[in-house]
Amino acid sequence: MSDIILSVENVAMDFDGFRAVGGEHGLSFNVNRGGFLGLIGPNGAGKSTTFNLISGVLKPTQGRVAMNGVELSSLKAAEIAGHGLGRTFQTPRAFPSLSVIDNVIVGSEHSEEGPLAALFGRWRPADVELHEKAEHALERVGLADRLHDSVANLSGGELRMLEVARQLNRDPSILLLDEPTAGVDPNLQVKLSEILVQLHADGTTLIVVEHNLAFLLNIADSVVVLQNGALLAEGDPDSIRHDPAVISAYLGADHET
Amino acid sequence: MTIYAIIIATLTFGAIFSVLTLSLNLQYARGGMINFGTVAYFAAGAYAYAIFTQEPPSGLDQYRFGFDMPWYVGFLAAGVASLLFALVTGWPTLRLRGEYLALTTFAFAEVFHSLLLNERRIGNGSVGLANVERPDPTTLGMSDTVGYALAAVVLMLVTAFVFNRLLKSPFGRTIDAVHDDEIAAQAVGKDDARIRLQVFIISAIPIGFAGALYAMITTLVAPAMFTAEVTFFVWIALVLAGEKTIVGAILGAMALVLFQELVKGVPFETVRGAQIAASVEEIVTGILFILVLRLRPWEKLSKRNAS
Repeated sequence: MSDIILSVENVAMDFDGFRAVGGEHGLSFNVNRGGFLGLIGPNGAGKSTTFNLISGVLKPTQGRVAMNGVELSSLKAAEIAGHGLGRTFQTPRAFPSLSVIDNVIVGSEHSEEGPLAALFGRWRPADVELHEKAEHALERVGLADRLHDSVANLSGGELRMLEVARQLNRDPSILLLDEPTAGVDPNLQVKLSEILVQLHADGTTLIVVEHNLAFLLNIADSVVVLQNGALLAEGDPDSIRHDPAVISAYLGADHET
Repeated sequence: MTIYAIIIATLTFGAIFSVLTLSLNLQYARGGMINFGTVAYFAAGAYAYAIFTQEPPSGLDQYRFGFDMPWYVGFLAAGVASLLFALVTGWPTLRLRGEYLALTTFAFAEVFHSLLLNERRIGNGSVGLANVERPDPTTLGMSDTVGYALAAVVLMLVTAFVFNRLLKSPFGRTIDAVHDDEIAAQAVGKDDARIRLQVFIISAIPIGFAGALYAMITTLVAPAMFTAEVTFFVWIALVLAGEKTIVGAILGAMALVLFQELVKGVPFETVRGAQIAASVEEIVTGILFILVLRLRPWEKLSKRNAS
């Protein structure tokens, strides 16, 4: 069992009596340590809600989520992030008061972040190191020349990459990406795909929600398909491509890959 | 009233209220918290100073506590009192947002005011504590008024310096992140509730010190001095000169106090004239407030400078 890093067990989420995730029996799936899971499904299938349940933004109505055997349901989102879980959002979330580089640095575990360190100026050496590291993360996502820009000047795709850089910079052991290619230009998509392959090779566990299946199915090693909040299919990319239920529900009858 | 007296009074009270606007600037403009109970932290500081420095009760005194300590102990106690009051009021309320937090802090301040008014064992009820002990600036070769004006300005500058240092550090960066988007801040491991409470408490400490200084200058603390009017006054001062910057917070308080002192300084022939002037002063302050909110001159100015 030790190779399972994240387990979702019988999880269900109701919004005002409407079951957004879980179907009749609750949603269950496991993610292997170092695995690359694609999470797909039609709009409204509950993919983003599932992310919110795992990362602690939402608390499940029933069921449990565990990471490395630690039950997450009772932890705050910030504590879950502290356990090494990183995530991006379907709508990119930047901090508009901060510059591009500060948007990344602020996500670091800063050893001298408290008010007393601020008062006595002890934070400077640690900050210099973090600055370099953040610069490197921004370089990886192609934002190296925008370090001191205001985030208001970034395009939607660049904001998405900024969010990816903020999480990369934290070296999460498990990273959840919500539609990372949406609005991102093709060159950057290639770059992103390279980053994900590299992270995968380095042993980071990845869970990626994506509508761009050509992008996802080429790099993921397993896929979970959701429909109406319930598990429709689970397997390796090849079997998902040819699963009749998946084709009729999501890929479309005339789908070719 | 001479021009000299007006300047000294403006510096003294302008600096004291600047400490309050600086704290609100940190809480509101950077922390995103609306505190409509500012006066309570100010009062907590003033009363703590008076109680720690006054003599134990005797004769007809109704208050129970008087520790007869030196002024600097009282001054420190004022900061601690305000800090503790912020902890007690912040802990249960900071999960609230916007206007809900404003209402709750306002209610806390009213309860505290009512407690001071009705509980005679703390501060003699509505009579208050008179003859508050204070250090004598003349021992340093300064006149009384100049000495306290200087003290107030120093407190203001130290507060501005400390807050500026906080905001320019990683702590300030985190405050901005939590203010901008708490969900995204949580996603990088920032405990937004803890950070908000830290900001709330830190910004309350100088308010307590300002309260102590206010008590020294007026040599009296009484519930009538600590009404919601003080809260509204500092909020108006903050908004007047632009709530976003430290300089704005100071200029607003100084300008509003100067305006008040000028009206006070007019030599009225009749009581009726003074009454009218007092009402006009409040009306003009109100109109200024509405105009600034409506026209947003500072935002336009900063946008023009940026482009």
